[in-house]
Amino acid sequence: MEKVVLSFLGKDRPGIVAGISRILLEKACNIEDVSMTTLQNEFAAIFIASIPERLQPEELLHELRTGLQSLGLEVLLKRSERLEDLRASKAAEPVVVTTMSADRLGLVAGIAEVMANFGANITNLKAVFRGGDDPRRNVMIYEVDVPVEIDHQAFRYALRKRADDLELDLSLQHRDIFEEIHRL
Amino acid sequence: MLSDREILSTLEMLRNEHLDVRTVTLGISLFDCASHDPARLRDQIHRKICTLSGDLVRVCNEVGDKYGIPVVNKRIAVSPIAVVAAPFSAVQMIKIAETLESAANAVNVDLIGGFSALVEKGFAKGDLALIDSIPEALSATERVCSSVNVASTRAGINMDAVRRMGLTIKSAAKKTAHSDGIACAKLCIFANIPQDIPFMAGAYLGVGEPDAVINVGVSGPGVVKKAIDRARMSNPTLTLGQVSEIIKRTAFKVTRVGEIIGREAAQRLNVPFGVVDLSLAPTPHVGDSVGEIFQSLGLASIGVPGSTAALALLNDAVKKGGSFASSYVGGLSGAFIPLSEDLNISEAGRLGFLSLEKLEAMTSVCSVGLDMVAIPGNTSADTIAAIIADEMAIGVINKKTTAVRLIPVPGKKSGEKAYFGGLLGEATIISVQNNECSKDFIALGGRIPAPIQSLVN
Repeated sequence: MEKVVLSFLGKDRPGIVAGISRILLEKACNIEDVSMTTLQNEFAAIFIASIPERLQPEELLHELRTGLQSLGLEVLLKRSERLEDLRASKAAEPVVVTTMSADRLGLVAGIAEVMANFGANITNLKAVFRGGDDPRRNVMIYEVDVPVEIDHQAFRYALRKRADDLELDLSLQHRDIFEEIHRL
Repeated sequence: MLSDREILSTLEMLRNEHLDVRTVTLGISLFDCASHDPARLRDQIHRKICTLSGDLVRVCNEVGDKYGIPVVNKRIAVSPIAVVAAPFSAVQMIKIAETLESAANAVNVDLIGGFSALVEKGFAKGDLALIDSIPEALSATERVCSSVNVASTRAGINMDAVRRMGLTIKSAAKKTAHSDGIACAKLCIFANIPQDIPFMAGAYLGVGEPDAVINVGVSGPGVVKKAIDRARMSNPTLTLGQVSEIIKRTAFKVTRVGEIIGREAAQRLNVPFGVVDLSLAPTPHVGDSVGEIFQSLGLASIGVPGSTAALALLNDAVKKGGSFASSYVGGLSGAFIPLSEDLNISEAGRLGFLSLEKLEAMTSVCSVGLDMVAIPGNTSADTIAAIIADEMAIGVINKKTTAVRLIPVPGKKSGEKAYFGGLLGEATIISVQNNECSKDFIALGGRIPAPIQSLVN
């Protein structure tokens, strides 16, 4: 059974998830994973679903685009990587990088570039820019998987240096500390 | 996925509320170093400490970096030297103190504790030699800390030891008169001393402990104070029951930090993890004060009527929240109210809100006792012994740990300032009422019997 990744983008409104899941059900597709979010009234979601052998992915995409047209949703589809490819992904330490600063251009690009240079994978990014000079109103929180085999001290140093260049207040902590403190 | 609130509130605790791990203390048993030859004993002590703790500072720094939580102090606690070096003289004990100092320097730890004796029921030869050597040993070294347990609920109070410690404190102060009697800041007299304290000056490794063990002392008075302030601001009708809940939740978070850091440090050093000590330990910095918590609870200052009740609430809530957060809790586990190490408490002493008598009353509900209390230099050894005896009685009768760390500051009177530097801070010398009035009582000596364990009123 083949797996596909579906992404949906559009204005948030009631009925989006119902519309998507109805079409998937009609086509006998099994939803395996879903993540959705809204930012300033914009809806985005990723679905991973397994599809029956008789159904071509292109046909499913066509059905979704047609069926969701009235909701104004953009739809993309790609074939999912096989499980073996996922298993080949490297061991990593989950860390949380938080930055605060006055709002200006280039902050995310500056930090993300350093992470990419070290092969660190951003698994979740939340950036809240409310403008102005109060750093606490402009916060970026990166959840990042840092490969075990890289030089972690060099990674920290490079991030801190970039933060200094960008006049960012940066902290970097292993993810476990937040879970230990706040969760039972 | 972590929530913004979880991340930002943790950062707030770290940056503005002084959340840290106050100490990671490596306990090291020295019993297998025993030898009839003092030089060989010293050599083996030095080698064992350096072997086991060579990576302590590096590992603590690495673990602190990983989690973004500073480990402020890295320390060592060893087996009681009075037992390890039982056959030797006071002069040889001083040499051993110098060996401990040398080892502490070699591995770059802040302090090393365990220059200690347990004499609640009587003296062995090594105990007497060690106690005799304390003034010189603490004057000749900077990082060595000493403790003497003179009382326990099971044994009573060894009043001969109490009298001897009064004299020892005076002598230690005199030998370090040039630095306001700093040697006394490294000497604690205990009732019911725990075997696994990570905090100084009382840390030593008990005889029932493993060959090596990591014990952790957490911090967090600033975090508790800010949590109370926030809650009172958002709910003006907050009751003390609700305050207790807030302190419990906060103590939980603070303790989890100590637990995760301690466990990882222990794992990296390949030694067992011992306990988290839940004490709220202040530093001489604004916002990192136990005294400020009393003001957050609506008292004008620590020391005014209501302070003992407030401390009882605080101490109990910290223990409840902390014990839920850690698999093993030990050490002192309570609020510290040191007169010099806490800016706010020091100020309360200067302004007259806090007297020696009120401090003593408060120690009946907190773990530590009369801690870092600077008293006039002319306080007699008998009066110091009598103050120790009173404090020991509170511990023995209430089945709890109490301790005394008094500094009779040579040449200074009440109201003057004593300066100790660093984490020890500075303190206004508080007056001792009725000096020289306890001489005959102390001269009686002997042992106050262990208390009855029923008829508890």
